[in-house]
Amino acid sequence: MSASFGRFFDGESGLGLTVELHVDIAAETLRLTHEDLPMGSQYWPLWAIRALSDQARDDQLVLSLKADASLDSALIKTARLTVDDADMVATLRRLCTDLTKKDIAHGTLRKVVTRSGLAAGAIALMIFVILPAMAGTFATLIPIEREIAWGRAIMGQMERSLGGRGADLVCRNPKGLKALETMTTRLTERADIRYDLDISVFDHRMVNAFAAPGGQIVLMRGLIEKAKGPGEVAAVLGHEIGHVEARDVTRNALRTAGSAGLLSMVLGDFSGGSAAVVVANYTLNASYTREAETEADLFALKLLAGSSTNAEGMADFFDSLSKLERLGPSLPTYLASHPETTTRAEAARAFARTQGYTTPILSQREWKDLRSICD
Amino acid sequence: MSGRIEGQYFGKTEPLLWLYVKTALLTLVTLGIYRFWAKTRIRKYVWSATSGENDGFEYTGTGLEKFLGFLVALVILAVYLGLFQLLLTFLGLAILPQDDSPTAMIAQSVAINLNFLAVMPLLLFAQYRARRYKMARTRWRGLRFGMENGAWGYVGRALWYTFLSSITLGILAPLATFRLEKYMVDRSWYGDAQFELLGRWQALYPGMKHVFIGMGLLVGATAMVSAGIYWNVIGAIVFGGLFVVVAYVWIIVGTIIFRVYSFNYLTRNAVLDEEVVFEAHLDPTHVVMKVLIGFAAATIAPGIILGILGAIVGAVFFAVSMGGPSLDTGGAIEGLAIGGTVLFALGYVSALLLVGAIWMVMVTQPIVAHAVTNITVHNSDHLELIRQRSADKGADAEGFADALDIGGAL
Repeated sequence: MSASFGRFFDGESGLGLTVELHVDIAAETLRLTHEDLPMGSQYWPLWAIRALSDQARDDQLVLSLKADASLDSALIKTARLTVDDADMVATLRRLCTDLTKKDIAHGTLRKVVTRSGLAAGAIALMIFVILPAMAGTFATLIPIEREIAWGRAIMGQMERSLGGRGADLVCRNPKGLKALETMTTRLTERADIRYDLDISVFDHRMVNAFAAPGGQIVLMRGLIEKAKGPGEVAAVLGHEIGHVEARDVTRNALRTAGSAGLLSMVLGDFSGGSAAVVVANYTLNASYTREAETEADLFALKLLAGSSTNAEGMADFFDSLSKLERLGPSLPTYLASHPETTTRAEAARAFARTQGYTTPILSQREWKDLRSICD
Repeated sequence: MSGRIEGQYFGKTEPLLWLYVKTALLTLVTLGIYRFWAKTRIRKYVWSATSGENDGFEYTGTGLEKFLGFLVALVILAVYLGLFQLLLTFLGLAILPQDDSPTAMIAQSVAINLNFLAVMPLLLFAQYRARRYKMARTRWRGLRFGMENGAWGYVGRALWYTFLSSITLGILAPLATFRLEKYMVDRSWYGDAQFELLGRWQALYPGMKHVFIGMGLLVGATAMVSAGIYWNVIGAIVFGGLFVVVAYVWIIVGTIIFRVYSFNYLTRNAVLDEEVVFEAHLDPTHVVMKVLIGFAAATIAPGIILGILGAIVGAVFFAVSMGGPSLDTGGAIEGLAIGGTVLFALGYVSALLLVGAIWMVMVTQPIVAHAVTNITVHNSDHLELIRQRSADKGADAEGFADALDIGGAL
């Protein structure tokens, strides 16, 4: 075979050597010869020769050696050999069987799996442990008057979103308000409530209730109409008071803001636009964690017991809720994150069995007044 | 010392187009995961097409390290933004007024936009790191390029100069361009030889000519429209509106011209190892034409595809629904509607892909080719004395840039 040449860079200096190339088929090596090479020549095993991939020029080959195949020194580890000679290119393409092989380093798969796992774990830890814990701490740092002001803003938004701009949904029938006040007083007189409760009824057919931060609680007309007795309304009220006392709304808003900021990154939108939307939505819909719901249920039961009201009402309310749930996907959002209603009904019923003497929380007359609060 | 090297570019349209389409489809079917490998392969192609004295450049980055770097950056950014949002909301609740008054609304929307400001330093950080990574993964004649670690210093300066050029309505843009480029060039290496940027920032002003003309036009046109509205002259409003459009186009073209001009100037004033100097004479008109033609093609081609697809779907749908009772139209129409939607969605995705491909082969590659072939290296004999530099791990492998989705085609 006639001599052909290639341009050799040892990867240590910028000095290019025009080396003479010779393929030794018997020894399965490519010999590079130049007087400036250490010992005058280098031997590249054919099986260890790799061509760089995705190259723009198909008239030449840029060759390197498989990382751990350096025979004599570290010198040729980062060496490059460019071959322009058409015959030599053809010969090498024919003889080097692994020319285009991709050498994947040992432990690559393990590295990918570990790193992906760590990334997912870190994000999960953040969403489920660190952010909730921080939200809990920070929620207690917000002054109560701030919470109340913020609660008012949320109430305003809620009223607008339910009834349109400028709507006045608050029910103001004096007798009804009186009955509501009686119920609240009876429910809370034996309990130590930190907040000044501000309870109102919205004229809306939704079977729903929500607590805004700072002691503001809203019952919907639909809920009072659906209830078969004052005990059911009292149970819901007690539940919402539980949320207020535990500062669940504030805690929830902080937690959601954090997770939304985090997720906006993971989902690839970091400008904050959609994060803001998510925060707003969640704050309004106020979906709490299951633990918060269970705590609020327990709180309600305690209030019911304290006011000698039969907890059976709570069980009844959950029963009718579970019937509503079966009606289909148009659930009030309030229900979506609550624990299984049948479980909650059972818990309330079990509690009711332990109760001694109970009285209705409102008289027949007062209950009638409450039901007409929006008239 | 003597010797000169002319830049050569060997890339061609067809192979690059094919590579782009192939890797874009792989990216599509892997729901985006393949994009790190796609970008790497495109870079390998463009780098290997770039050559000096018949010695090609080599891109040694890998898709895998980009993917792993992305994971790390993603977690750091996600945690940072999570904490930031939580604290921001907390401060918003504890400090900002919470009512329906306009001040409260403004305060709240400002607080929400702080999120962008929170990311801004990270964008700049990512920009520097991405350039550093690309340098560290570039070799020529077997020697690595490299850049010193200095991303946070860059962030501080970039924030300051961006602020300066914004409050002066772009008049100080040359200062920002020059100082930031100098910061990066002075930290760049080829092997064990360091680059240095000489020259003055004021020298970039001639390149701003068309930006200033465009800005002048914009002021004039706005005044014309306002006057037209004030005295109720329809002609003045129409012509003024037209001039506003012209002014915007002028500013955009002027910006491209400025970038070419400053590229030429900055390249001419860079020195390697106090010996090797460079010459660049890119033609602004050539670059502007490439961008404009590419923009036109990238706008028209997908439109045609979507139009044809829409017409086919519409025609078939129409034919079947007019087929009357002789056909069992109930199921057929439903099936067609679904098929049509799927077809249209595919058309949409392929239109997006087409835009990227057109831009790559009609704008990015031609401009790279134009730049490379218009650069000359003088005193190139000195290059043979340069030795290798130690490898740079490049920790995040431009993961921040990928997570924040910046960096463009290459």
